[in-house]
Amino acid sequence: MSTPEVVSLDRKGAPIWGTLIGQFLKALLALAPLLVFMSIFFFAPLWAVVLDSFKSNEGNFTFANYADVFKEPIITAMRTSFGLAMVSALVSAVPGAVLAFLIESRGSDRLRQVVASISGVLANTGGVPLAFMFIASLGAEGAATGLLKAFGLDIYGAGFSLFTFWGLVLVYTYFQIPMMVIVFSPAIHGLRREWNEAARTLGATGRQFWANVGIPLLFPSFLSAFLLLFASAFSAYATARAMTNGTIALVPLMIGNLLDGNVIFDEVNLAKALAVAMIFVTLLAMVPYIVIQRRAQRWQR
Amino acid sequence: MNLKRVVAVAAASAIALSAVVAISTPSQAAINYCKATDLKTAGGLDALVKAAKKEGALNVITLPRDWANYGEAMDLFSKAFGIKINDDNPDGSSAYEIQTIKTAPAAKQPDVVDIGVSALNGVIGAGSDKLFADYKVANFAAIPSKWKSESGNWYGDYNGIIGIAYDASVSPAPTKISDLANAAYKGQVALTGDPTAGQEPFMAVYAAAIAKGGSLDNIQPGIDFFKSLKANGNFIATKATPENYVAGAYKISLTWNFNAPGMIAGAKAAGKNLKFVVPSDAVIAGTPYIQAINAKAPHCAAARLWEEFLYSENKGKTSAQLTAKDLKLTGSKLFNTILGGQNVFVSGGATPILQADMTAKKKLINGPDGFDVPKGAKVYQPSPDQQVGGKTLVSAQWPTL
Amino acid sequence: MKLFSRRQLPLTLGLVLATIFVVLPLGSAAEFSLREPLKNTHGFDNYTWFFVAPDFAKYLGISFGLALTSALILLVLLVPTVVWLNLGGSKYRGFVEFVSLLPLVIPVVALAIGAQTALPDFAQTNEVILAFMYAVLAVPYAYRTMDTGLRSIPLKTIVEASRGLGATWFHVLFKVIIPVIRSTVLSALFMTLALSLGEFTITSLLHWDTFTTWVTTMSQSNILGAIALSVFSLVSVFVLLLVISVFIRPTKSMVISEEN
Repeated sequence: MSTPEVVSLDRKGAPIWGTLIGQFLKALLALAPLLVFMSIFFFAPLWAVVLDSFKSNEGNFTFANYADVFKEPIITAMRTSFGLAMVSALVSAVPGAVLAFLIESRGSDRLRQVVASISGVLANTGGVPLAFMFIASLGAEGAATGLLKAFGLDIYGAGFSLFTFWGLVLVYTYFQIPMMVIVFSPAIHGLRREWNEAARTLGATGRQFWANVGIPLLFPSFLSAFLLLFASAFSAYATARAMTNGTIALVPLMIGNLLDGNVIFDEVNLAKALAVAMIFVTLLAMVPYIVIQRRAQRWQR
Repeated sequence: MNLKRVVAVAAASAIALSAVVAISTPSQAAINYCKATDLKTAGGLDALVKAAKKEGALNVITLPRDWANYGEAMDLFSKAFGIKINDDNPDGSSAYEIQTIKTAPAAKQPDVVDIGVSALNGVIGAGSDKLFADYKVANFAAIPSKWKSESGNWYGDYNGIIGIAYDASVSPAPTKISDLANAAYKGQVALTGDPTAGQEPFMAVYAAAIAKGGSLDNIQPGIDFFKSLKANGNFIATKATPENYVAGAYKISLTWNFNAPGMIAGAKAAGKNLKFVVPSDAVIAGTPYIQAINAKAPHCAAARLWEEFLYSENKGKTSAQLTAKDLKLTGSKLFNTILGGQNVFVSGGATPILQADMTAKKKLINGPDGFDVPKGAKVYQPSPDQQVGGKTLVSAQWPTL
Repeated sequence: MKLFSRRQLPLTLGLVLATIFVVLPLGSAAEFSLREPLKNTHGFDNYTWFFVAPDFAKYLGISFGLALTSALILLVLLVPTVVWLNLGGSKYRGFVEFVSLLPLVIPVVALAIGAQTALPDFAQTNEVILAFMYAVLAVPYAYRTMDTGLRSIPLKTIVEASRGLGATWFHVLFKVIIPVIRSTVLSALFMTLALSLGEFTITSLLHWDTFTTWVTTMSQSNILGAIALSVFSLVSVFVLLLVISVFIRPTKSMVISEEN
């Protein structure tokens, strides 16, 4: 069922804003506060970055910065960043969704309060403090490493290292899982018990309920949250910088090196082109998402 | 009448005399410190101190306390002259300093900057002369001409050498860069950052290059060395910071000698025993860091006094040694009581830019033991031009090391 | 709540695992912060210094004020927008989703540089600008949380019902919708507060001083003290959010439905 537009009628019953332009203007009005806010504090800075990305060091117009994006080592960095974001999002989205479900459906109100508070805090940890926490626990002389050794598990002997791609994924889960819990919980919050009961009355098993009602209902929200996790892992800078020394090719690190470094000072516009390129990659990643969303719309009330 | 005439003449001569006096004595308030280009045009050291005290504040930028003992320099300057120092983003980069000068609003402008030479090359040309203000400190002539601008637009202040900082528990104790490949050091070797982003790790790669038979024009052996260290598990990607060291993430790092005293002291307070050694197979000296006064400096007199202080060769009192009696001194007397900035750098383990002059004049104090260039060692210093080639190679290969 | 009943077992198990996962890193860092190597014991020595450090309360207050302001800005901006999107504007959902995701995609470093170039001087000299920048950074999370929450309630039904009963839009928004999505709004609020209280990059790149930059400056040369301060920051924000949540009763989950 497609969502009917809320159409205002004048006294005689004729639609006032019925025209296409009218609809569009009405939308513009409704979105105006957010758009104006974003324009000043986000799009204006972004536009400055975009403009500069097309400039050479002398200030002339050029595509050279974007041409460099496709060369090594940047293209490898793009691939690694994308891979890291996808893997990290996947590894965090599923446990996060399961945890959210368990807490929302079976937890008490107090528990949900506590979870919401701590998830908010954890979802925003990052950078040096987060890196240190993991080094203190899973580093070569970490508390957890020692504990595991006491149980006979020498993870470092087996080749484990925090400062690799997978180590980074592990560290990212620390803030990504809580992020998932916070963003996905509201979806489960609204899942009605009656639907489960109704389905059962009609003879569905628990699995059938989930396969045909529950999961399709939750899927758009899940995907939306997943996309958020992906974007946050894709652009994560402080944590990667604290943990890797540049030996893992990541785009945000390169941007940081070129914009806020002590060695290279004449590739500022390249860094800006990289930032714009990241937006394009995200746009590409959103295409399958929008397609699935459109199809899932019919489940929405 | 006669009396009236006398009074009139007296009054006229008094006026004439005061006019003559007024013309011949330049009024102190008329000096524009923002346009002063040396001590003379600033009206002398006494006047400069007075004006700086009046301004009451100094904006510095990206100066960590443990870096070449800047903490002591700031404390000493602050205590002696009663000038409050505001340090914007102590851990910030040279790029941040330049960006701030270019874009920050007037209230946030730094008075002075301390940037890497490469940053200077990045802004040199049509733009740079407009970023900084010309000022020649009293000892300007003694600064090597290679490291200063003719007009006093910018000037080098200190530099250091790369050494090995290692935990006392490491066995055998490393003495050369090539020792780092020893299998005993598995999972223990780290750099303080990304060589594409930091001068310290970048110079460490040069050190490896020299140790492994490369040269200042050929940094490839250095990159290859770290690649092999990574392959055999010695080199780990963690950042060599004090916290990570205390947490045991790494045990050996390559660092500037002027950062080591601070690191060792900090580690001791946290219960760890850190040692430092200058490698015997490669002594790499960094290019001097560059001082400059911001053309848009909000506190012009304080900025110039700070530069005079940093280039002062005086032996004198540290901030801990200053007494209340000392603080009652004024102007140049007070200035000459305190330890000069160049010697403060020495106390932090750095090599001051005026070292040759200070040695000749016997004004050099003894720095902490164990951080100096060993006698007779060959010192390699990659020039900014040589660094350009090195940068290209490192930035291309490091991300896929 | 029986912890080990068959129904509750998955939850208990999940919570235990989650707790271990959360506490292990934090606890390890906390253990470091409690070390007193010179006395060879554990204690709170590393914690006392920052309470008496100059300007501790000042910067805490600044950060807190900015966090509250940005949370307010976001709520005022987003709640009506998301409500409208779910009521009649679902055509524009894709566009708004993309726009809301953008602040997350650009590394903060690039955004800060752009802000320095683009924003006029008067904006950069007023500290309130930070509240707006934090709000921008929080939009992705806050929007998504609120959108997910509003999607899952029978919004159309309750709006039409209350409008049918004669409620004004104001009444509908404040007395009907917001109470229903209270816990969603709370989650969004928490994310924004925690984000603002911990934000460092934009703050320092725009040359401002808040609690986080003050922490970095003060922590120089004091390794264990720095660790203690960052542990304290995390724990205190958690306590703060918990206190706030206690004052706002959560809405009962729909799974324990109370409607119709």
